[in-house]
Amino acid sequence: MELDQLEMNQTLEESQPEGKTIPYLTALIGWSLPAIEACDKLKRPFVVVGPPDFKDYAEKHNITFVGWEFDRLNEGSDKLYKQLKVLGAEVAVPLYEECVEWAGALNARFRQEPRLFNRSLLLRDKGMMKRKAQIAGIKVGVFEEARDKDDVKRFLKRVNEALLKVDGDKYDPIHCKPLDKAGSVGHRAIDNPADIEALTETDFPLLMESHLDGQEFSCEVFVHKGQIQFLNITEYVKLGYSNFVPPSPSLESKRPVIRQAIEQLIEAFEIENGVIHPEYFIMPDGTLHFGEVAARVPGGHIFDLIERAYGFSAYEAQILCSDPNTTEEELRKFFPSEDEANGYAGCLMVHPHVNFIEELTIPDELEEHAFFEKHDMFTPPQGKVAERVGFGNHYGTIFFFGDDSAEMRRLLEYYEKYDFYL
Amino acid sequence: MPSDVTEGKIARFSQSLTKLNEAPAYAKSRYQTDVYQEANRLLETDEGLEILFKYADKFDEAGVFQDGPWEDASKLQPPLVAGSLQAKGLPYVIEMMSNLRMLAIAEGKGKNSNVSQEMAMDFLNEVMALNLDLLFPQATEASRIEKKENAAEAQRLFQFISRYLSSSALSETLIHEIKRLTAQRPIMVKRTVSIIKMAKEMLKTHEDDSQREVLQQFVASIEGPSNLSHLYSQPNEYRKQLMNLSAEELQRESEILGRSMRQTGLCSPHHSVLARFLSRKSPEFLPALLQLSGKGKANFEEHAELVHQLIKVALFPSTCQSVYGLALLLERGVLSASPVIPGLRRLIELDIRPEVRNALFKSANEGEGLTANSILLAGVISVLGQPLGVGQGLNPTCQAARGISLWAQHAPGYLLEIIPRAARDGEIDMVFEGVSIYSKDLQGGLAPELHPELDPVSIVLVPHLDRIYSEMMTRVALRGEDGHRWVNPAFYGNWVQKGFSTVIEPITGNIADYPGFVRLFYATHHPEYNDEYELIYPNPVGIFITNVHGKMLGFHAVSIQRVAKCPKGNYRVYFYNPNNDGSQNWGQGIVSTVMGNGENFGESSLPFEEFTSRLYAFHYNPYEQGDSYAVERESVAKVKTLAKDSWGLEYKWISG
Repeated sequence: MELDQLEMNQTLEESQPEGKTIPYLTALIGWSLPAIEACDKLKRPFVVVGPPDFKDYAEKHNITFVGWEFDRLNEGSDKLYKQLKVLGAEVAVPLYEECVEWAGALNARFRQEPRLFNRSLLLRDKGMMKRKAQIAGIKVGVFEEARDKDDVKRFLKRVNEALLKVDGDKYDPIHCKPLDKAGSVGHRAIDNPADIEALTETDFPLLMESHLDGQEFSCEVFVHKGQIQFLNITEYVKLGYSNFVPPSPSLESKRPVIRQAIEQLIEAFEIENGVIHPEYFIMPDGTLHFGEVAARVPGGHIFDLIERAYGFSAYEAQILCSDPNTTEEELRKFFPSEDEANGYAGCLMVHPHVNFIEELTIPDELEEHAFFEKHDMFTPPQGKVAERVGFGNHYGTIFFFGDDSAEMRRLLEYYEKYDFYL
Repeated sequence: MPSDVTEGKIARFSQSLTKLNEAPAYAKSRYQTDVYQEANRLLETDEGLEILFKYADKFDEAGVFQDGPWEDASKLQPPLVAGSLQAKGLPYVIEMMSNLRMLAIAEGKGKNSNVSQEMAMDFLNEVMALNLDLLFPQATEASRIEKKENAAEAQRLFQFISRYLSSSALSETLIHEIKRLTAQRPIMVKRTVSIIKMAKEMLKTHEDDSQREVLQQFVASIEGPSNLSHLYSQPNEYRKQLMNLSAEELQRESEILGRSMRQTGLCSPHHSVLARFLSRKSPEFLPALLQLSGKGKANFEEHAELVHQLIKVALFPSTCQSVYGLALLLERGVLSASPVIPGLRRLIELDIRPEVRNALFKSANEGEGLTANSILLAGVISVLGQPLGVGQGLNPTCQAARGISLWAQHAPGYLLEIIPRAARDGEIDMVFEGVSIYSKDLQGGLAPELHPELDPVSIVLVPHLDRIYSEMMTRVALRGEDGHRWVNPAFYGNWVQKGFSTVIEPITGNIADYPGFVRLFYATHHPEYNDEYELIYPNPVGIFITNVHGKMLGFHAVSIQRVAKCPKGNYRVYFYNPNNDGSQNWGQGIVSTVMGNGENFGESSLPFEEFTSRLYAFHYNPYEQGDSYAVERESVAKVKTLAKDSWGLEYKWISG
């Protein structure tokens, strides 16, 4: 819809009666085919708010579409809201990191709860996020925001002073990441003051954090009206490369502690509806360190793994939970029990170990392994390997499924080192 | 990868296809990858292909090709198939599947609203004809060095498809392809010869008698058209046999070889051997070998001594195509132009520069003991005999080819002036608006690295002509008008008319007054509106080249040879296209033909309106303008629609 058309329709919208608008659209914030498909399967009418580039595709396939540039700071969210309201949207579901505050702003308007927007900002500023967690008594590392290189130098020095390092000792690393990027985008570990020089103007402001030990894992928590509907735990084999669902028995045994931590997080962050994707480090004694939390579709194909392991669509789950009007009954019918996984579903994201790809080799023993499900790799027509941004642009994914978490871990570790691309 | 077809693989492919089929239209891309992966596991064996083919009629409906370049089967182009098959990865898999889809349609299994059974069949036949080297792999040095990606898989696919195609349809396509190429009577026959050699492979398994005969004729035309030449394929053996022939037998032999040559425009090494033999022993049969008409015979008799000299110096087994050139040269009466005879004689003893000599040697077969002068002279004979057979090869040098063709037609003396200048002195000079331009002083040009697959005359001249043309265009670049207005008459000579009209406004790049442009072209070229002035010299014109979908690709230079009624009574433009292959599909149903519409050998033709719709610049004689107002409004409108919907999309139209 064009903007001028919108102004005309505004009076029309205002004259509508209070309460539920017909047809009660779900607004998917971000372009994601699996989310669109999920919404379709749930038979919920929807509108997609996505980058304008997708307009033609949406038109071709009769998908109601509103083009929007999320990364452009603007005062136009009101226009977007009105545009969606006219269409009959009531619920906004964020699909990508940069969509989270847009969905927050929209839901705040839809439900007339301005604080929904502030809560969403909490998830978009890693400094604010940590501070909030710390205030709530959640265990986090030492952290600070940095505005320039001097801040980083000082922080690295003070953290290691606190660790009682003397001259000549190897420094413990600190972690630097942009305040508002998804997961591992822009993440770097620094243990040498010389590395700090590599940072550039555009890297700031950033969040610095002391290194946390322990096994890393993530949770995908489907929350409705502040209650956990389903808690998935994803075991990380190597961050950004491989993970599987559900976790191995040793981590699974910590589920009660983890659930407690999640409840604490939900309360602290006042999370009501939708999906959250926090990351933790767990120490052998069961102590949990909070890493960070996002409120969007997680990376690493985790939603696909959940579907494979538990048999429900995580995208559908997210949409259902995002809507406060979903009934208790619907939810009970939808989610299986957390201990009813059909098996372990894991995936390996393949990154070439070379700078120029000549050939793709898939070993027979991989294809013939009972756990092997599928992969999506083809020899790329153009051989040059793109530079990595976060863990986003891997060259392919291999999916496994089986009944033994130890074998799953072995496979993921073994093939992570395998040279698929020569 | 273990390539055997297992139940598991079949089941997995089937499941992935079902999932794709069930997916909503907008989400197909989520499921396509799995289908491609599973298909890839089956593509490696005949058995696997068979399995995939069983599903091929469902590919379109399931959305296997949706939202990708292969989506619309009616827009696929046979020449692109081989490239995709040789690409790595995904394009290869999809191309394989797409061809199986096409086969399913051709077999009447699959339904496609855009592609009929016949269209699919034609498509596959053309794919096969274009990829005979994969269908019948040859153990040549070239195929060894240029080991192609996926060659084995592509070969398996083609052999699989060819089992379903009727071999007569395939050879029909081949015969058509050969006829199409020979109709253009090119000087360079490498592609024609290689296709004929492929066709020979087909003869081994082929049954249809009438086609067999045609194919056999083509094979004979390059390998020996008579029994004797067929029996003794080696030139030296054949020569020995000739000595034993009686006069009648010799005459018969000459007739057979001559007729084959005039029919196809192709020669075998035997033609040269026989020509040399006759020239020495029985010159009275040379007219039979050359199949000369009365005029040709008179020309031959008048200049017999020179002809013998030309045969002796220029006609060898590896320059055999020039036997045909010699025949046509005599038919055209070129030798009667006074500067030609001394011009040809000069070439025999010309002191050719080392770098030119090397370039000439590279263009000929090694180990035959030819001199560079022989190669060059043979080339000159061909160009003078077949002016419309000059091609630009793989070089962007259409202007130079057009020049050589024009001079060979109307200024052979001039051509014979600049050839020695280039071959002996390493330069050519032309005067442009009072200033001499020397090619030696120039760098660059459109084709600094010339692709060597060219006739000898082009090898010698094009590097110089190309640079001079570029230099002239540079000198007029800032005049605010299309530079061809001044450059064409200066470059090609006074045969080019001084009036000039272009459709693009040079400064703004807009299209202004298109109807006026069209009317002027009609009034100066169309016999019904131009007071019936005949076109005397070829008119160098500029055209927009568009692809089969009508999308603009760039500019091209052709020459209008004549405008005349075709056998069906419609006006057509007959033109010389320096591209080696003149039958081209320019979209919107505009397909230039090289035979069947009254074309002379080497001409391409289009209906007048269609040709006009691709025109962007032409020369005309300002004193020979007819009645532009008389041109039918509908004709102008039709031309304009064709123009606007094709190349016109790339331009801003400001009026008219």
